[in-house]
Amino acid sequence: MIWLTWRQHRAQALATLIGLGAIGVFLLITGPRIASAFHELHACLVVPGKDCSQLHDSFDRRFSGLSFLVPVFMVVPMLMGVFLGAPLIAREVEQGTHRLAWTQSVTRGRWALTKIGLVSVFTLAAAGLFAWMVSRWSYPLVAASDGRFGFGVFDLRGIVPIAYALFALALGTAVGALIRKTVPAMAVTLGAFVAVRAVVELVLRPRYLPAQTVSYPFLQGSPRAGLGDWLISSRVFDPTGRFVSPDGGITVNPSALAHLCPGVPATPSLGGKDEVGRCLSQLGVRFVDTYQPGSRYWLFQGIESAIFLLLAAGLIVLAMWLIRRRIS
Amino acid sequence: MNNTAALEASSLSRRYGSTWALDDCSLSLPTARVIALVGPNGAGKTTLLHLATGLLQPTSGSIRVLGELPGANPEILGRVGFVAQEMPLYRNFTVAEMLRFGEKLNPTWDQHLAVDRLESLSIPLAQKVGTLSGGQRGQVSLAIALAKRPELLLLDEPLASLDPLARRDFLAALMESVAEHGVSVVLSSHLVSDLERVCDHLVVLRNGRVAVDGDIGGLVRTHRLVSGPRHTGDLGGVGEVIDRTDTDRQTVALVRTHGPVLDPTWVVREVDLEEIVLGYLGGRGGSSASADPTLRAVQSTPSEVGS
Amino acid sequence: MIVFSIDSRSAIPPYLQIVQQVKHALRLGMIEPGDQLPTIKQVVADVAINPNTVLKAYRDLERDGLVEGRPGIGTFVLKRPDGPPPPLLAQLRRSLDRWLRSAFDAGLDHEGIASLFESGLRDAISQEEETA
Repeated sequence: MIWLTWRQHRAQALATLIGLGAIGVFLLITGPRIASAFHELHACLVVPGKDCSQLHDSFDRRFSGLSFLVPVFMVVPMLMGVFLGAPLIAREVEQGTHRLAWTQSVTRGRWALTKIGLVSVFTLAAAGLFAWMVSRWSYPLVAASDGRFGFGVFDLRGIVPIAYALFALALGTAVGALIRKTVPAMAVTLGAFVAVRAVVELVLRPRYLPAQTVSYPFLQGSPRAGLGDWLISSRVFDPTGRFVSPDGGITVNPSALAHLCPGVPATPSLGGKDEVGRCLSQLGVRFVDTYQPGSRYWLFQGIESAIFLLLAAGLIVLAMWLIRRRIS
Repeated sequence: MNNTAALEASSLSRRYGSTWALDDCSLSLPTARVIALVGPNGAGKTTLLHLATGLLQPTSGSIRVLGELPGANPEILGRVGFVAQEMPLYRNFTVAEMLRFGEKLNPTWDQHLAVDRLESLSIPLAQKVGTLSGGQRGQVSLAIALAKRPELLLLDEPLASLDPLARRDFLAALMESVAEHGVSVVLSSHLVSDLERVCDHLVVLRNGRVAVDGDIGGLVRTHRLVSGPRHTGDLGGVGEVIDRTDTDRQTVALVRTHGPVLDPTWVVREVDLEEIVLGYLGGRGGSSASADPTLRAVQSTPSEVGS
Repeated sequence: MIVFSIDSRSAIPPYLQIVQQVKHALRLGMIEPGDQLPTIKQVVADVAINPNTVLKAYRDLERDGLVEGRPGIGTFVLKRPDGPPPPLLAQLRRSLDRWLRSAFDAGLDHEGIASLFESGLRDAISQEEETA
C-alpha cells in the first residue's frame, strides 16, 4: 500500500515539492536583504528614547510592496488540500479503479486509512516546512511592524499553517468521497475552505478569550506599544464616556472647536493637528483600544490549530464512513 | 470439491431508489464450473456481481461466496477474483507496475504466472496501460485477477468491448487457467453465442429475477423447439411450454420435456443455448400468464438434471 | 500433435466432435498407439472451449479402450478404433431394411421417414449422453 500510494500520487508530491522549492528560492533571495535592512533599524530601536521613525519609515517604504505576498502565501495550505485531498478518493471512483483496488486482498478501510494517513504525513511535513520558511523569512518584517498577531500575519507563521493544510486535506478528501468527481470536488473544497477560514478568523478568533481594553489620551501613543498585541479595534470616546468614533479619527465642528479650544487654528493643517490633539486630550477625549495581549499569541495559535485539527479529524471520520457505506 | 457453493444467494434483493435491481433472488451455484450469467442490460447481472464482491451491500436477503460474506475480510477478498465491466486499470501505470500493484495488495500473488501469461501474449511489460489496445487491457486485467490464485473468478461483461479475435484469445486464456488451476468462473454477458462452448452452467436474469438456473447440458437435453399446426390453448402432453408463438396457421413453442416427443404432428428439433435464453427472456404468452409460476418450476429443475 | 476444431453450429455436441476427430486421426494414421494426445490445457488454449468438454471426450475414448489416461503425465493412445465386425454390420443393415419397408407400407414418404429417423437419432444420442 505504501508503494501504491506513492506511485499514485508521486506527481502531486513532486509538484508540491517543486512549488515549495520555488517559494524557498524566492525567500532565500529576498531574505538576507530584509534581514540586513532590519539590522540597522533594530540597532536604533534598542537604544531607549531614540527617535527611529525616519529609519522606520524608510524600512516600511522599502518593503511594503511585499504585502502582496500575504494573500499569496495564505493560499498555499489551501492548495495543498485541494490538490492532494480532493482527487484522493474522487479520482479513484471517477475512473472506476476503486472496483479494482477494493477487490484485491485489502479491505476498503485499510486502503483508505493507509492512503489518507500517508498523504497526511506528507502534507504535515510540507506545511511544516512552508511555515518554518515563512516564519524565519518574515521575522524582521514582523519585528518592525505591529507584530505577529494581526490578520494575515498570524495565519502565515507558527503552527496554524500546518493545521490549515491538514484541514484542507481532510476537507478535500471528504468532499471527494461525497461528490466523487475530481474537478467539482476541488471547487467545492476551495469554497468551503475559504468559508470556514473566514468564519473562524473573523468571528471566532477575536473571541477565543475575552479581549482586554486600555484607555489613553487622544493622539498619543498607546502605553502597550511594542508588546505585540493584536489590536482588534481602536475607538474614540469623549470625556463623558460616550462613544464618538470607531476608527481612531474624529470630525470636529469648527465653531465648537473654537469654543472649546481657544487659540487653536480652526482649520487644522498638517502641523496644527498636534495642537488640536493636545487640546482635545486635555479635555478628556480618549482612545480606547480593544486588544488581545501579545502574551496570548501562542495560546491563540494553539486554540486555532486545535479547532482546525478537530475539524480535520471529524472530516476524516466522515470520509471513512462515506467510503465504507456509500460508494460501490 | 467440498459442498460449499461457489455463490449462494438467499432471497437476495437490492434496491436503488424505487427500482429493485435484484428482486428476491435465490441461487446456489456449484464450484468447479464455468457459469454463464446472462440477461439483457439492466437485468441485474452487474448488481449481482457487485454484491458477490462486497462492492455493494444487499437491501435484504443474503449472499455468500465460498461460504463467506463477500468482502468481509482480507482472506475472502483474496480468494475471489474480479474484473469489473470497464476493466479498470491505472492508465498511467506500466504493465509491470500494474503487476506490482497486484503483488503489493495480494499475499497469494503468483508473479511468474502473470509474467508468463503476458509474455506469451506478447504484451510488453514496460508499456503504459493507457496505450494498450482494448484486447490487451482485457488480458492484463484477467492476468491480474488470475495471478492472485483465486478459487472463484467473477467477470462482468469481459467480452463486451473486445473484437472477435480478442474475445477468442480472452476465452482461450480463461479456459487454460480453468484447466490448469481449477478455478470456478462466473462470466456475465448479454451476448449468449460467445458463451455456449465455454460455459457449463447457465443463470438467466430477467428484471432482477432468476429465470433459469441449471446445468447447460441438462437444459439443452430437456428443451426442444416444437412446431406444428396452430393450437389454441394447451399444447397437450408436449411438455412444459416456456415460450410460444402463434400465427394464424402455426404454433411454435419452446418446451421442456423429459422424454421424446412422440406426437407426430409436431416437428421437433433441438435448441442451442441462445434459443433457450431467448425463450426464457421472451415471456410471450407461455403456459402461465405471469412469470412467477414458470420461475418456480424452473428453479426446481437443477437437481434433477445432473451431469 | 493433432489440432482440434469445433464447429459451434453443428448439431453434434463439442465433446463428440473431439471424440470423432481423435478416431478419425487414428484411422488415418495421423496419430499412432503410444502417441500422447494434446493435454486439456493445450486444447483449450487453442480452441476456447470448456475443459470439462475435453475431459469428457478423453474419458469416452478411455472407456472405449482407445486411449489411456496416466495421471500427472497425460493421455496416450492405446489402439486404433475397430469398426463393428462385418456380421454385425450386415445384421444391422437387414433390421434397417425391414424398418424402412414398414415405414413405406404405413404411408410415410421420404421426408416423413427422414424426419422420424433424425428425431430418433437425436433422442438416442441424448439418452446416451445422459447415461454417460
